[in-house]
Amino acid sequence: MNTITSKKPVPRLFREINVVITILSRDITLFFKSVGMLIMSLVMPLIMMGMLGGSLSQNMAGGLGFDYNQYMLIGMLVNMLFMTTSSGVSSLVEDHVTDFTQEMMISPISRYSIVIGKILGSSFGAMVGMLGTILIGLIMGISLTIGQYLLILLMAPLMCLSAGAMAIIVIGVIKSNKMANIAVMLITMPQMFLSGAIIPINNSTGILHLLSRLMPMTYCLDLTRAVVYSGSPEYADVVLFNPLVNLVAIISLTIIFLVIGTYFFARSEKNR
Amino acid sequence: MEKMIHVENLVKQYDKAKAPSVKGINFNVSEGEFFAFLGPNGAGKTTTISILTTTLSKTSGNVTIAGFDVNKEARQVRENVGIIFQQPSLDPNLSAEENIRFHACLYGMYGYRPSFKMMPKEYRNRVLELSEIIGIQDSLFKPIKKLSGGMQRKFEIIRSLIHTPKILFLDEPTQGLDAVSRRGLWDYINTVRHDFGTTVFLTTHYIDEAEHVDRVCIINQGQISFDGTPDIMKQSLLKQEVILDSYDRLELTNELISLGLNYRIEDHVIVPFQDLTPQEIISGLTTKLSLLRMQEPTLEDAYVDYLLKSGGNIA
Repeated sequence: MNTITSKKPVPRLFREINVVITILSRDITLFFKSVGMLIMSLVMPLIMMGMLGGSLSQNMAGGLGFDYNQYMLIGMLVNMLFMTTSSGVSSLVEDHVTDFTQEMMISPISRYSIVIGKILGSSFGAMVGMLGTILIGLIMGISLTIGQYLLILLMAPLMCLSAGAMAIIVIGVIKSNKMANIAVMLITMPQMFLSGAIIPINNSTGILHLLSRLMPMTYCLDLTRAVVYSGSPEYADVVLFNPLVNLVAIISLTIIFLVIGTYFFARSEKNR
Repeated sequence: MEKMIHVENLVKQYDKAKAPSVKGINFNVSEGEFFAFLGPNGAGKTTTISILTTTLSKTSGNVTIAGFDVNKEARQVRENVGIIFQQPSLDPNLSAEENIRFHACLYGMYGYRPSFKMMPKEYRNRVLELSEIIGIQDSLFKPIKKLSGGMQRKFEIIRSLIHTPKILFLDEPTQGLDAVSRRGLWDYINTVRHDFGTTVFLTTHYIDEAEHVDRVCIINQGQISFDGTPDIMKQSLLKQEVILDSYDRLELTNELISLGLNYRIEDHVIVPFQDLTPQEIISGLTTKLSLLRMQEPTLEDAYVDYLLKSGGNIA
């Protein structure tokens, strides 16, 4: 019988990177194997951008002092990244139900690698959803420049990581698929309404103001708009914070959520 | 011989449970040993195996696997063990080979490649060889969800062995398998033990599967009620009997009484060995026999007897 020949030990960091790549590759493989996921990635932009965004644009965009269509397109692009990544991360619950998480948990790997790999894997579907949103935007006659699209694409992995880190906290304490679907709604819907994706939040006050400041999507959206609107006259109307403040907030919230979420996830597996 | 598994005063009490599931158990497993950990449902078997494989935290006690502490050195423990869970833990949407590749890459054996053909030759040869040995090469690239339970179990075994672990944990590995699959699986596990000197820790409800293990440990109601070889376990059960019958059963029983032998009648006349040898029992009889059979206790007889003696349920 063949045995595996002993090899030179691989540094720990490289091993963990390989684990992240392995886990994210699994999600990409599953994405292409699932016709339903492919269809959803194209239907969701149609609903969000085409129907919700289109309706808002036609009926409520007057008197804002800036082009609502462009504002909404950016909101929908970031929202799509958040929604699809959160939904993808929630498939950890399905893995938990089918006991596949056990396979990962008994492997000699960091729990952070599992979570980061899962989030990045989910980001793939989110990127497809983002491309679908751009396509629907083009059909609706709303577009950005190639440079602006590329800048958003560059920032997308950070936004997906931020979305996934937030989702993992909730997923870490949930045991059933049904609850996971509800949880994804509870994570994504308030963010869509309170972080300025489709409704400007410049005049939010009280609890809504506080909640908007606690949501990572607020800073992701604001950073994206700061980049897109940079140098334009609408900048002061649509951007809330200094881009550096946004960046620090995104990174801080992501790290905090990632640490807490990974702890919850590992604990839920160990105490199942 | 080196202790591969060391368990000392292990206690596990689940959150909100009134009493511990595992109540301060102790046992050791030596290198290369085939160890069966038996017990009825709810006795604490899966709890113990989960702690040993680092998937469940213990309440107190010391547990080392291959010399590494399960709490402080969980990563090293995981490097050294392979596990076949009670419930299949394959991804049903991936192919069998993709599941194996996923596992091999998680264990750092190879860098991930997006297809089997792109993986190193060493990996490809090993997967093909293992699947050939276990007779499932034709199903290697089929989705797991399209394979039978027996096939899935076999792939789990390949997966758990791909990183050549020092200790193989088998948590009811043949549950749901047909007789042919069970036999094939055990043949393969025995080959692995022989070739690699792998230590095997088995839990099973099929007691006959533990007939040929090196050591048996019975857990009942969270406590160890027996720890020894299957032979010692069977010897302690005084159930060696001669089963007799005759067309004239009355004459036979009268003869047994006259010889001072105890007997009981079930389907046939059953005569315990007591202090006699079977030869001595038979040589004293002149009645023409229609049936003569020896009955040795099986491991299952001894197991059930132990559970009853230790006050456990045998559900």
